Amino acid sequence: MTLEERVLNVLKNTFELDTVDLTCSQKTCDKWDSIGQLNLVVELETEFDVSLEPEEIGEMVSFGDIVMILKRKEVE
Amino acid sequence: MNYFVFRNNTIERFFPKGYQFSGYDDISLIPSDAEGYVWYYQMPIKYDQKVLAEEINGYAQKLAFVLGQIDSKKTIIALTMDSLYSVAFTDNDFNLQSAVANYNLALFGFECQHSNVKVIDITEFTRKYTAAELFDWKFYFISQMGMNPKLSNEFSVWWEKKLYSIALKRKKCLVLDLDNTLWGGVLGEEGVNGIKIGGDYPGKAFLYFQEALLELSRQGVILTICSKNNEQDVLDTWEKNPFVVLKKEHFAAYRINWTDKATNIKELAEELNIGLDSFVFVDDNPTERELIRQLLPTVAVPDFPLQPYNLPAFFKQLVEDYFKVYSVTDEDRKKTEQYKANAARAQAQHSFVDFSAFLESLDIQIGIESANEFNIQRIAQMTQKTNQFNLTTHRYTDADVKSFLSDGWKIWCMCVADKFGDNGITGCIMVTPDGEIDTFLLSCRILGKGIEVAFIKKILSLLKTDGQFFICAKYIPSLKNVQVKEFYEKCGFTCVSESKDGTKNYEIKLADADLKIEKYYHIKLK
Repeated sequence: MTLEERVLNVLKNTFELDTVDLTCSQKTCDKWDSIGQLNLVVELETEFDVSLEPEEIGEMVSFGDIVMILKRKEVE
Repeated sequence: MNYFVFRNNTIERFFPKGYQFSGYDDISLIPSDAEGYVWYYQMPIKYDQKVLAEEINGYAQKLAFVLGQIDSKKTIIALTMDSLYSVAFTDNDFNLQSAVANYNLALFGFECQHSNVKVIDITEFTRKYTAAELFDWKFYFISQMGMNPKLSNEFSVWWEKKLYSIALKRKKCLVLDLDNTLWGGVLGEEGVNGIKIGGDYPGKAFLYFQEALLELSRQGVILTICSKNNEQDVLDTWEKNPFVVLKKEHFAAYRINWTDKATNIKELAEELNIGLDSFVFVDDNPTERELIRQLLPTVAVPDFPLQPYNLPAFFKQLVEDYFKVYSVTDEDRKKTEQYKANAARAQAQHSFVDFSAFLESLDIQIGIESANEFNIQRIAQMTQKTNQFNLTTHRYTDADVKSFLSDGWKIWCMCVADKFGDNGITGCIMVTPDGEIDTFLLSCRILGKGIEVAFIKKILSLLKTDGQFFICAKYIPSLKNVQVKEFYEKCGFTCVSESKDGTKNYEIKLADADLKIEKYYHIKLK
């Protein structure tokens, strides 16, 4: 699975979505609220075995942001 | 609506879906439509130890306020506080520890004063982890989490177990093997004094295990044996080996023979009148365990430790998984005695030709008592645990029972004694203000003596005296209550309708009912 697919999977499971696509963001997804953000961080850290910094968590509001941050951290 | 949680930190992730949460340290909104409440305040972070201690004291006062506001019939589960992070600037600074200890003491105090408060010790969960695993500053700063969010799965499992024990559901009976389970070695080979029990390791580990099991039986768990051995060898061991703690009298029944264990356990279930799903089977032999898992899938079969030094850890797990309850009633503690007296009764039964002569010889004493604050817990427990002789299988908590009483329900419980012993409170009936029997149940250990009929007739007489003309009743089939399918017919009720799922509705006109009770049931109203 590619990094993008894995992120989509995490989003889908964390927010219990039927379908998910590349446009997923805090604006388009109801469940992506502050508690949702916390849950998402925990799931991403577990899935990719990384530690996300508070600054990164703060700017992480869409699928694109997540991918960019993970790539910056050189996650495969 | 589900549980409503009062909290001072972010804890949503730890609780099941459907729970609702207060604002942070906010008791201004107390929803009255919650099914129950949870109080989970975590230690706040502050460096001024005195201010911190005051804040913690304030939490207890807030809880006292909440207790005064909520419906006292609804359960509130309060979690104790654990210190997550503290910096004592001097070695003799115990302000914080004593504040936390006082807060926890206050919780236990509330529990004593209010029957709807149940306290759960959080350290039972937290002590499994190191400080670094428990608390993660990053999540504290980004989300005000007082506990590491990555522990949420483990916490959920633990929480479920705690709810389960609050609802008083647990296994009833432990089936134990002997060789290499209760002592080291094989009795048939090593002899009465050759088996390893007491003294040095490994005998000491087995001794501890027996002492632990003895304590478990004092808490109301029924111990039995299923072992492939010569019975006489075991009897000799009980009599002659001074190190064996668990002796014959500690077991409600046993099967020491060469028959397969599945057959033996089925027999034990019949003899003790307990469902197989209330059994836990403990045996060191994996083949025996597999046999029981295959043939008796409802029996719980935990793995047994390979090394005797792991027995104490195994025992702890056994208690946590199967036998933990929130509180033990006196009835539980007397249980082994009662089950043994039942076996004596079964034997006495053989020598009488006429069953009523037998019943007469038993000197059956039935006490009937209205529900009150002393027996409500036991009544609720019976609704949770009684499966076979239970006409409707409605499960209630003590809070439910209390609210029924204040709604005008008539609720009685029954205690039964005979010449072999006192069975304690073993039956109950609940009648709604409209004259419908909502719940009628008897513990299976008093069945077989016609007591159920005497009990219901007595209650019908009481209701008749009270001015009731008609009583209706219901049989709701479950997987386990087939034996009472025709019970109301036997008592003179008329079945007025039966639905597809097998639920039957009944009616009885009290004026025409036969409410005569055999003389040999000595009934007293308390």
